[in-house]
Amino acid sequence: MQDLETIDTRFFSAEREADLDVVGTTVPRVDARAHVTGKTQFYEDVSFPGMLHLKMARSTRHHALLKKVDTRPAEKVPGFVRALTHKDVPNNWYTILRLIGVEPNDEPVLPEDRVLFQGEQIVAILAETAEVAGEAASKVKIEYKDLPAVFDVEEALKPGTPAIKPHGKNYFVYEGHHCRRIRFGDVDQAFKEADHVIEHRYQSAPIEHAPTETTGCIVKPEGNGRFTIYSNTQACYFTLDNAALIVGLPFNKLRVIGGTVGGGFGGKVDVTVEPIAIIAAMLTQRPVKYAYSREEEMQVSSPRAAERIYIKDGVMKDGRIIARKVTLYVDAGAYSRHSPYGTTKAAAHMPGPYSIPNVWVDAHCVYTNRTPSSAMRGFGVTIGDFALESQMDRIARMLKMDPIELRMLNAYRDGDMKAHRKKAEGCALVEVMQKAAEMTGRKLPERFKKMSSLKPVGSKGEGI
Amino acid sequence: MLRAIDVPQTTAEALTSLARARDALVIGGGTLVMPKVQAGASGLGALVSLAHCKLDKIAIKGDKVTIGAATTLAAIGEERGLAFLHSAIESVGSPTLRNLATIGGNLFTEQPYGDVAVCLLALDAEATVATRRGVKKVSVAEILKKGIGRDAIVTAVSFKKPEKGTWFYRKAMRRAANSASIVTIAALLPQSKTRVAKARIALGGCGEKPVLAAKAAAALEGQKLDADSVARAGALLIKDTAPFTDAYASAWYRARVLPVHFRRAILGE
Amino acid sequence: MPSTVVTLKVNGRAQEFLARPGTTLLDALRESCSLTAAKKGCAQGTCGTCTVLLEGKPVFACLVPVETVAGRSVATLEGLSDGDTLHPLQESFIELFATQCGFCTSGMIMAAKGLLARNPNPSRADVVRAISGNVCRCTGYEAIIDAVLAAAAKMKNATPIRKKAAE
Repeated sequence: MQDLETIDTRFFSAEREADLDVVGTTVPRVDARAHVTGKTQFYEDVSFPGMLHLKMARSTRHHALLKKVDTRPAEKVPGFVRALTHKDVPNNWYTILRLIGVEPNDEPVLPEDRVLFQGEQIVAILAETAEVAGEAASKVKIEYKDLPAVFDVEEALKPGTPAIKPHGKNYFVYEGHHCRRIRFGDVDQAFKEADHVIEHRYQSAPIEHAPTETTGCIVKPEGNGRFTIYSNTQACYFTLDNAALIVGLPFNKLRVIGGTVGGGFGGKVDVTVEPIAIIAAMLTQRPVKYAYSREEEMQVSSPRAAERIYIKDGVMKDGRIIARKVTLYVDAGAYSRHSPYGTTKAAAHMPGPYSIPNVWVDAHCVYTNRTPSSAMRGFGVTIGDFALESQMDRIARMLKMDPIELRMLNAYRDGDMKAHRKKAEGCALVEVMQKAAEMTGRKLPERFKKMSSLKPVGSKGEGI
Repeated sequence: MLRAIDVPQTTAEALTSLARARDALVIGGGTLVMPKVQAGASGLGALVSLAHCKLDKIAIKGDKVTIGAATTLAAIGEERGLAFLHSAIESVGSPTLRNLATIGGNLFTEQPYGDVAVCLLALDAEATVATRRGVKKVSVAEILKKGIGRDAIVTAVSFKKPEKGTWFYRKAMRRAANSASIVTIAALLPQSKTRVAKARIALGGCGEKPVLAAKAAAALEGQKLDADSVARAGALLIKDTAPFTDAYASAWYRARVLPVHFRRAILGE
Repeated sequence: MPSTVVTLKVNGRAQEFLARPGTTLLDALRESCSLTAAKKGCAQGTCGTCTVLLEGKPVFACLVPVETVAGRSVATLEGLSDGDTLHPLQESFIELFATQCGFCTSGMIMAAKGLLARNPNPSRADVVRAISGNVCRCTGYEAIIDAVLAAAAKMKNATPIRKKAAE
């Protein structure tokens, strides 16, 4: 039985600091006792007298103009308190990462003239009970004028396809460019020189986090003019910053109580529930709860972005990859959220941890009329890895080469120049594969046993 | 929104409650009705619970079985005299769900749920249906096709317990437990001198309602139960079904695997 | 919409409250009894975070109209431990890292408690079956199954004092 508990200090022994001693030990969780006794306070475990419930009337169309929004039938339901539209939002347009310079503010808290995805929130209904709020929300009369909807990333980028976003493009603009780009060496020339050219298309579906706890918050107006926000957000500061800018309050007027998340996985880093709940609390001076139903969590809350990735490699007989061309599309859905950042990460992650002398990457963040996607466990990187490593396995099969050996041959070494014009450092892929081979009883040939991330590689072909 | 939850103590009281409101609905374990109520806009104004109407007895006299409609699936799963049904019971939801879900409720669920209803169809079960005008027996087959009147309550189901070696059941699922059906097969195949005397094959997950695969059943009658006859019958199953696409499986996939799971149900591999 | 006065015995104590039509057992526990360990994850009986014991049997509290269980006894996570001393299930969940975000934990422990009350010597398959109605998105389930089996072992090995003296 392999020892998975102890750190193997034989590797990189010159780089180990003597006083680090927690990794490799077992440390009980600080929150476990509260979880098993039922004392952990999730946001919905708190309640206040006079609390109002907020439910959204949502779009049933993928892409449509809002011709008419009539809340009068909703107002007749006993227990109805108030309806909120975009007119009630002081600063309606935002994007989550605006404070680190991502622009434009492409998402409305509540839509003004159109909806861009099925399930988009349109009117917020406030009522004395959740049942009344839901009943009233279902009675809001909305007249739509359907617009052509686009669901495919490449369709969205075709010249004839109408733009669905106000800035006039179906892609996020990176400093004036239509995508993130990496240009290193000359892939076209290298393809001519390669022994084999291998090209494949990879496609992933949107993936929903499906946390057991649905997204939600409770906002309570305090006597001193501040608002306390009980939220299950993973990102208290995203919530605080964006909410303050949206409602037009100084940051110190908002207090976020959070950090207890019933499953996040990246699905609770958007800011969709708190701003409108704060506005509701401001206008009614009552505590307000806005909790997603299970159906809303599954369909409306952002999933991991679907990605389409084309990889074309030029490969030599001996396994060296001498050229990699990647065209990558992230399906951001209707709004930016974290996708522009994710797409940047995707580009930065190409061409994988391999030293390839000719690299060409175009990574597009594309808008479609699908549920806006956002963060999830390694977003931008995870699906890219699926494509890259599937491609590596296909190369190995094509060359009838061991897939571990193919990777070790091409792995970065310290000092290699990456396609991003940065020198690789702290590389360890070679050693990790050697250790994995050892642990799984895989016998590596001598020259692979001798490989090291620290050995500078002049011309590729070390050990051959 | 709900105005009232009635908890009658007898069937007669339950029928009176039902008659009082046009938007009232009978509730057994709540596993089907309560999700709808909580999703909102169910249109229901009142619920009439059968939990205290003493409709939860299991009676086995010889080979005649009568089960009260409000009997939980868990209770059926513990009844040794109904061991033949246990693999079907185990395939429905989870043990926690089965502590609430009732056999009567299973007649009114939507495919691809409702595997016990598929079994009752294969068993040619009868339901006892009560209205304020009296009590009558209606075949489960008819109830599955037409439902029952708004003012009626199913109070029991009854069927003949199958002889050993004549009952076959299999449910293909997306997970090992707690999954709706990809396809469900329940078959009653009494044999005489090694040949199938009569065949009754019910399918779930294969259309809006559980169906009888009449053509496949006819093809099996008079045959030995072997790989050839089962394959020939399996190929005919699709003729009596209209599989749909949902989150669990596509119509294409259901049609494709139906004969495979049929073979595994009957022949064990 | 007249409310009903409902009495429940929860964790051994009588609880009396008003219930509007449509109040589930889960709503009553969380809002009228201030027992918030049982959670609302789906309101459909598919996630298991609302699992409590109704007369010793695990049920999804989100599916039970509270009027239909008036007078019955309910056990929740809050009733499991006696002050500072934790129940073996609670101890094992801590020791074996069977809880991460904590949202499924109440339901998991109550489902396990229901199992161990009927079957003090469960196999791994028995535990898997017992928690098959409970979803966990964090742990991958193995640690939870290990914890339930460890708790069962602890509970079996808890020897009464007089037996120890005899050894």
